[in-house]
Amino acid sequence: MLGVTRLILPDSRHMPGRAHPGALTTLVLALPAAAILGAIVIWPVARVLVTSVFDHGTYVGLRHFHAALEQPGAWAAIGRTLLWGALVPAIVTTAGFGLAWQTRRGPTGRIATLVLVAPIALPLVVTGIVFRLVYDPDPTRGPATGLTGVSFLSPRLVTIALMSAFVWAWVGLALLVFRTALDRVQPELADVVRKLGGSGRDVFRDALWHPVMRRTFAMVFAVVALATMRSFDLILVMAPGSVLDEASVLGVLQWQTSAGSLNGPAAALGVIWLAIVGAAIAGAAWWTRQRWPPPLTLAEATPTPRDHEPAGPLALRTMRRTILLSASALWLIPMVVLVGTSLQSPRSAALFGWWHRPTTLDSYRRALDSGELTRSLVLTGVLAVVVACVVTGLALLAAYATAWMDSPAAHVGGFALLGAAVVPVLVIAGPVDEVLRALHLANTSAGLALVHIALGLPFGILLLRNAFADVDFQEIVEARLVSDRPWQVVQRLAPNVVTTAVAVLVLEFIQVWDDFVVGLLFGGPDAMPLGALLHGGTRQFVANSGPLAASAVVASLVPLLAVLAARRHIVNGLVSGALR
Amino acid sequence: MISRRSFLSQSAATAAAAAAAGLTLAPSCARNRGRRLEIAVVWSDGELDRFREVLRAYPEPVDVTSAGDDIGAFLNARHRAGNSPDLAVLPFPGLMRQLVADSRLTSIPETDVLRDRYPRAWLDLLKIDGVLYGVWVKAAHKSLFWRLPTSPIAEADTWEGLVSQVDQAAGDPDLPAPLAIGAADGWVLTDWLENLLAARLTCDTYHRLSRGHDRWHDGQVVKAFGDLFDMWHGPGRFPGGASRALLTQHEEAVLQVFGTKTALTVFEGDFVTSVIGRFAEPGDPQPEFFPFPAPAAVEGEQPLVVGGDAAVLLNDSQGAADLLAWLTEPDSFAPWMAAGGFLIPNQKAHDAHRYHDPLQRRLAQQLLDATEPRFDLSDLLSGTLGGADGQGSWRFLQDFFLAATQPGAQRQRVVAEVTARFSAAARHYEGSKSLDRHACS
Repeated sequence: MLGVTRLILPDSRHMPGRAHPGALTTLVLALPAAAILGAIVIWPVARVLVTSVFDHGTYVGLRHFHAALEQPGAWAAIGRTLLWGALVPAIVTTAGFGLAWQTRRGPTGRIATLVLVAPIALPLVVTGIVFRLVYDPDPTRGPATGLTGVSFLSPRLVTIALMSAFVWAWVGLALLVFRTALDRVQPELADVVRKLGGSGRDVFRDALWHPVMRRTFAMVFAVVALATMRSFDLILVMAPGSVLDEASVLGVLQWQTSAGSLNGPAAALGVIWLAIVGAAIAGAAWWTRQRWPPPLTLAEATPTPRDHEPAGPLALRTMRRTILLSASALWLIPMVVLVGTSLQSPRSAALFGWWHRPTTLDSYRRALDSGELTRSLVLTGVLAVVVACVVTGLALLAAYATAWMDSPAAHVGGFALLGAAVVPVLVIAGPVDEVLRALHLANTSAGLALVHIALGLPFGILLLRNAFADVDFQEIVEARLVSDRPWQVVQRLAPNVVTTAVAVLVLEFIQVWDDFVVGLLFGGPDAMPLGALLHGGTRQFVANSGPLAASAVVASLVPLLAVLAARRHIVNGLVSGALR
Repeated sequence: MISRRSFLSQSAATAAAAAAAGLTLAPSCARNRGRRLEIAVVWSDGELDRFREVLRAYPEPVDVTSAGDDIGAFLNARHRAGNSPDLAVLPFPGLMRQLVADSRLTSIPETDVLRDRYPRAWLDLLKIDGVLYGVWVKAAHKSLFWRLPTSPIAEADTWEGLVSQVDQAAGDPDLPAPLAIGAADGWVLTDWLENLLAARLTCDTYHRLSRGHDRWHDGQVVKAFGDLFDMWHGPGRFPGGASRALLTQHEEAVLQVFGTKTALTVFEGDFVTSVIGRFAEPGDPQPEFFPFPAPAAVEGEQPLVVGGDAAVLLNDSQGAADLLAWLTEPDSFAPWMAAGGFLIPNQKAHDAHRYHDPLQRRLAQQLLDATEPRFDLSDLLSGTLGGADGQGSWRFLQDFFLAATQPGAQRQRVVAEVTARFSAAARHYEGSKSLDRHACS
């Protein structure tokens, strides 16, 4: 069957206007992605599930769960995880929407956007380094401590300090998404509501909230809530050992219980974590539910230039400008502290802090001296490029194969992919390590690449699948008629999904560049990516702060440029892709 | 199935047979089965460079692999993959014990040459059930207080004497705080405790504690916690107070004494000198040290708690054994001894006057003179008693530190709480509790 041009005409029962690839073609195209996901995500999850209720082959019921929850601080860590998942997204969505509303127009808006968006690009390990400098308990070094005299890293406040760092990093993304959504609001709708005698509240509800913002809010909330799983990175960098317990979340507890290998209580903890994530996903899916394939109304609506809208009274404009300027200034302070520290000599960074004079490049020299940072930069760069290309390529094939499945299969497939996209890697670290050992890839850069590919594929497939589903039927028919092989069809159709493919490519590149957990779990002395290297440098934080800040600046440049250059692609891809 | 050892001896026999049959093999090939020797170490950066420099003097090329902090995981991975390095430099003997239990280490004959080079007490630390499995290549002296020459806190004959000096300095508003302490790093606090335990306990009790036995309610153990309470409890002891001390890491604590001069003394091992050296400016006064004093009630000398790195054999080839033997020679580590920041309990190396820094030489002399060096207790423990950030003994001592430094804290109650926690952890200890034969001969 392979190699024979087969055109299956639209199946009127399920999906009018779609062409289906044959079952075998679907299988072949999706096979590479399925094999990798099976080995690195699905089998490990199954193994965790089984291990949580068995002990050396004997069924032990909930014994491991009791053991896991009896650990000191286990319940507190679960509670803190839920708090992170509720409070942080609430703040990020509210602040992101508020700022998006304020930055709709004007030159101040553009600069402010740049300042607010830049932190998205930074690896969370770098964000952790930045905020540990800001919250340094020494009042002469830490500006936050100096200004208030309050020690934010103390047991009582450490979680708030961590959350503030996370909000700093994520508000920019919320801002971008909300702005894109606001641009897509049809102003005519508001006019209609006003003409019908609607108040300002009615305009918000009927012209803004129901048509666009409800889903956008839900989407941003869900994405940020899931992203709080990565608070692990921040906690390991920011929390001194003595307050680790007070900052602990499920990720930290999982890491302490398993130490990268599989045991009963660790598996039980993993199942609890998976259950929480699963419930969150189900909630988010219900909240943002829609029919498949998604309706083509809003995304296709041409963004209307809104310059003609009156700018409002002067007082209002001044207030907006003030809000924007103070937000940008507030967002800029941590950056200034990081760069300032990196420009100190190692000695004055440790003794006096970021504001000291004169500035020097000694810390950069110290950071680059051993060659370790350079090696790590090269490794991380190669890894990120290879993983981004492979993920995009495999995801294109799999997405094409599955884009025109009919409704129940599409829903099941979509849900499975969503599930695979959000499995915390800490949960499956033990079994994944077993797989890598069996393949002789443990602690090698090839092993790191494989894990990254597996973790990136579900998201890539989801995005591209939606993009393929939007491709015009006639084009598909033509592509299928002139191609001999199924992958040639993909090749011909690829230009239609190029925006989304670029988004996947860039997002995956940044994801790998900014990674910490995968490097920590599966790296080794011969494969030490940037995140793990920077984390190693935080072990004696204050004494090492100069060279560490310099390394952090060097490590941030590439993703910063990538995000600033490709931010339109990223947001368009996100908004018109899986998250629409 | 064929065991690794018999496989190795077979291949050695094959090589010998081939040589006997008249085939000419380069000597190094015959010895190393055709590949270069590999040694895995925990060191990185500067230390790794120094060790490579040391090995440059070895007549054959040797591959040095830095295994990072978790050399145990590294060795296990290599073992499973079937390409273990020939030698490894292990940071603590807990791992050595595990490797011996898995029959993965080759024992080392305790020759007169070795006895000449290493004091007996030091060789004993690397024995399991009376059999030697490693040789020292680097040691750490963990029983020192560091000060500037101008510091009013000086050497004390007894622990109580030091406590009263600290009391006085804490009460003097014109002086900086008497103690800098990196309490954010749990291992700093365990090092304090271990020195008092080493001073107060018999070898047998210390050994039992180190094997996870619940001896935490023993009178002398309880008294050791009381000693710590006396030292830590009271106003003005730490720069910025006790809660600030709990956010201070070890190296920052060193800088509080030698950089910002907000404290008078700091306790920790000889590796403090490397921190001081990194931040010293021309004209800075030389740091001074004094030994950790023993409590008056204990008749005996000052405690000596040691850490260190030992080379072990993962492969019983002649080439590996030759390299190990070479590492024990007096001149082998000369470049590192000259460079500083390095101590080795090798008497002959000491006699050869290879330390350039007189301070290093004095520290090395103390290591050699010790009749009863005790290995760092927390490095010997694992599981519920082991240490890591927020866990086990590190966590217990940080909580004890916080409780003991509260104004109005009651000595007896705080001490009872911490011993109860250690005791409970010992009862849940999952590791093997079997005692070594000949551990305290």
